[in-house]
Parts: sequence; structure tokens; C-alpha cells
Amino acid sequence: MTTHVASVGVAGFGKRTEGLVDLAVEAAGPALEGVGRKPIDLLVVGTMLAHGLRGPEPLLPRLAGRLGLESASGFRVEATSATGAMAFHVAVTSLETGRYSRALVVAAEKMTDRPTAEITGELTAAIHPSEVAAGATMPGLAALVTQRYLERHGLGPEVFDRVSVHARKMSADNPKAHFQKEVTGEEVATSRPVALPLRRLHCSAISDGAAAVVLERGSGPATVLGFGQGFESLRLVDRADLTGFAATRIAARTAYEMAKTTRKELEVVEVHDAFAPLGIVHLEDIGVCGPGEGSSWFANDWVGRDGRLPVNPGGGLLGRGHPVGASGLAGIAEVALQLRGEAGARAIARLPKVGLAQSMSGLGSHSFVTILGRMEA
Amino acid sequence: MSAGGGTIELSRCEACFARFLPTDGPCPRCGATRIVPYAAPGVGRVVASTELHVPPPGVRSPHRLAIVEVADAVRLLASIDGPLPIRGDLVGVRKDGDVYRARAEPTPEV
Repeated sequence: MTTHVASVGVAGFGKRTEGLVDLAVEAAGPALEGVGRKPIDLLVVGTMLAHGLRGPEPLLPRLAGRLGLESASGFRVEATSATGAMAFHVAVTSLETGRYSRALVVAAEKMTDRPTAEITGELTAAIHPSEVAAGATMPGLAALVTQRYLERHGLGPEVFDRVSVHARKMSADNPKAHFQKEVTGEEVATSRPVALPLRRLHCSAISDGAAAVVLERGSGPATVLGFGQGFESLRLVDRADLTGFAATRIAARTAYEMAKTTRKELEVVEVHDAFAPLGIVHLEDIGVCGPGEGSSWFANDWVGRDGRLPVNPGGGLLGRGHPVGASGLAGIAEVALQLRGEAGARAIARLPKVGLAQSMSGLGSHSFVTILGRMEA
Repeated sequence: MSAGGGTIELSRCEACFARFLPTDGPCPRCGATRIVPYAAPGVGRVVASTELHVPPPGVRSPHRLAIVEVADAVRLLASIDGPLPIRGDLVGVRKDGDVYRARAEPTPEV
């Protein structure tokens, strides 16, 4: 049984004054309008932190109430930074059982009204306790992977500057993105250090935001062709290979097999560039190119909207902002918008037939890959 | 040897002979429960290192971290005391409560 993305809604990402429920409603509204307010019998919401303006926010029942979905079934899921992707996979799987006919998926996060130190502490939930004890942060672990990647392939840290420049170039055309201004390689390379060699502009920003899609049974321009997950050791030091993410390779293989497609068919991709080097590493892990080759895709601008394979045309996490629970669905939503020809000014040069979105939890301990494609009813 | 010639405790699985950091649970490789502790030299080589300028709450900046490979190819994440060692550097390793601490070894005299 196939399912497809019938409509998309995105709330503006950035530093917002609205609370979590309002952001979720802002994203859900256009998605519900997009299907003519047809009845929804499944609501899947994702949020990692569930922060309300005055304390913990019971997002699922409040959102169901605001949207008038009293008779729908509802689920709330959480997978740290991949929460939005998990919500999407749960909704697709549920529709495939035949139990439901139309699902609203909403992923939302509210972060910017809390002190950065508090948020940083909460995000260590995605790090192994023994590594938290050593004083690890997510940028710190990403920096260690980056060091190994650079050494293995004989590259310098400047290759990552281009990923940040690309992301901001893309997000400058996305009115819903956190960052509307382009940056230069020089600005990236001289931004303040976070976890060397990673600097501020190599790291995605704490942000508020929400994304929503309506999934229906049947097919359309953004049909779910395949999806997969993979796990790898939560503790970074236990991994055999520190220059890529096995969880993403497993997830991609599963998704390609289910979709009966290969990376050669991809015409648009959204990857989880929480840190600039990951934009490169993920391209390699989803098989777009071989190990060590990802940086040349950015150096030659093969990732632009008119390039060989447009990557993160919505700005990715670096440009769009990273409200942790929302980002995974925002990436899938961007691919769906591109496939449906609804991307407006940031539409890639050629209307794509197949696209892939990748999202991960922690530093690659759990990864999700989703392949959408045109399949006429 | 490390300054003071200390040791660190590692674990060996009696079923599959995997070596790993001490854990509360079963063998991370085969799931067997007969785990034997053993002492390894408190010394290792740096696999990768970084300097955090935005450390976790309550930790002084800059905070230095390294993945260190000790005996039997067991790897651990260590908080670094003193200057930042780089890949291949020899470091002394000790356990301080829940935390592994490492420090660059002085260059051996020739």
C-alpha cells in the first residue's frame, strides 16, 4: 500500500515569540488547507524538548484540541535531532496498515527562550553518559569525527567552509529560514571557535520552528517510495570507523532497496548538516559519492539549484536553523515541496522525480532515510 | 610509562575474549556475562583531539578532549590536562571518578 505527501506546511524558523503549540498550529494550518480540510484520522507529533513558555508542554493533546481532531488517534514520538523523521516514518507505517486513511504529521521545537547553557545540557541526552562525564558536547564529538575525516583523506578544514557558504546561499532564498543573509568563506573561517576545527558558522543554530505534512494513502508527485533506519553505537569511541556513519549507510541501503532505486536516480537531496563537515560525510554515506569525495561536490558547486544534484535547497540545518525536533520533518517537507513544484523562488532548475531526505539522532547513533518520488495515481 | 606508572582497569569477556572499557552490563560484543577485569598500563596514543571553546555548563574554557587508544586497541574519551596533544601523541591516562584524564607524556630521552 503506498502513501504520499498530499500537502506541506512550514512555520517560519528563527527566534520566535510564539510558544510551541502556536508554532505547531502555524505549520499545520497550510497543510490542512492543502487537502481542503478533509478529515484527519491520525495525528503524529514530534518534539524533543516539549518546552512551553511556562514549563513542560503537553503538545499532543493541546494540538489535537486546537485543530479539532477529537476523534483522531494520536502519537507523540521523540528521537532527539531525528524526531521529525521518526514522526514521518511512524505515520507512513501506520497508514500502510490500512487502519488510517489520512495523517497529519507535525514536528515542532521551541528553544530560543531558554538560556543556551540549559539547552546545551539538554542536548547531551543524545550523548553516551561516559562521554558526557568527560565533558563532551555535540560540537566536540563532531570535531573529533571531523579531525579523523580530514586526516584520512588528506584534506584541510577549509573544505567545510564551502558547506556553510552554500547553506546560507540557499537559505537566503527561503523566507521560512532562520538565516536570510549569505556569508563568505572568509566570514566562516574567521568566526569564533566552538570546538576546533569547528567554528560558529560551521554549526547549526538553536532555533524555533515547526513543519507539517498531510500523508494520504495512494500516490502522487511526492509518493513515499522507500524509507529505512539504522543504529550504531551511541558511544563514539566504540565505533570502528570515525570518518562516516554506519547508521546512515544502513538506513540508505534499506530505503534504496524498498524504493527499488539507486543514488543515480536522485535529483534532490536534503541531508542533516547540523555541522558543516556532516554535509559532506552524509553525501558519502548515502552513496552519492565515494569516501573523501564529498567536498569536491561543494567546491565545484555541483550542489547548487542548477547543479548535478541540488543539496539542501531550503538551506539545510545550517541555513534554516535547527529546532531539534522539527528539522527531520523540515527536510522531508522540503523534498516534498520540490517534487510537488511548490518550492517557489527556491525551486531547483529541473522539476525532480525522485528525492531523498536524511536525518540523524545524536552524532549518528540513529539515522533515518526517506525517499520520495513522482508516482502518478 | 605514564607519570607515576599507573594503571587503568579494562574488561575482558571470558566467552569471546573481547576487550572493552568496564561496563555494568554484559559483553557489548557477544552478550555473555562472565566479564573479568584486568589492569592495563595507564598510557595510550591519541586518535583525535579537539579544543572546546564552548564547553558544557560548569566546565572551564577551553576544555580539551581526545579519543585515546590504550592497550588491546581499547578506546576511551579523555578530558585532557595541560596542552592539547594531537594524533599519534603518547599520553598518560588515569581514571578520576567517572572521568578518564589524559596528559601529554614528556618526550622520551634519547
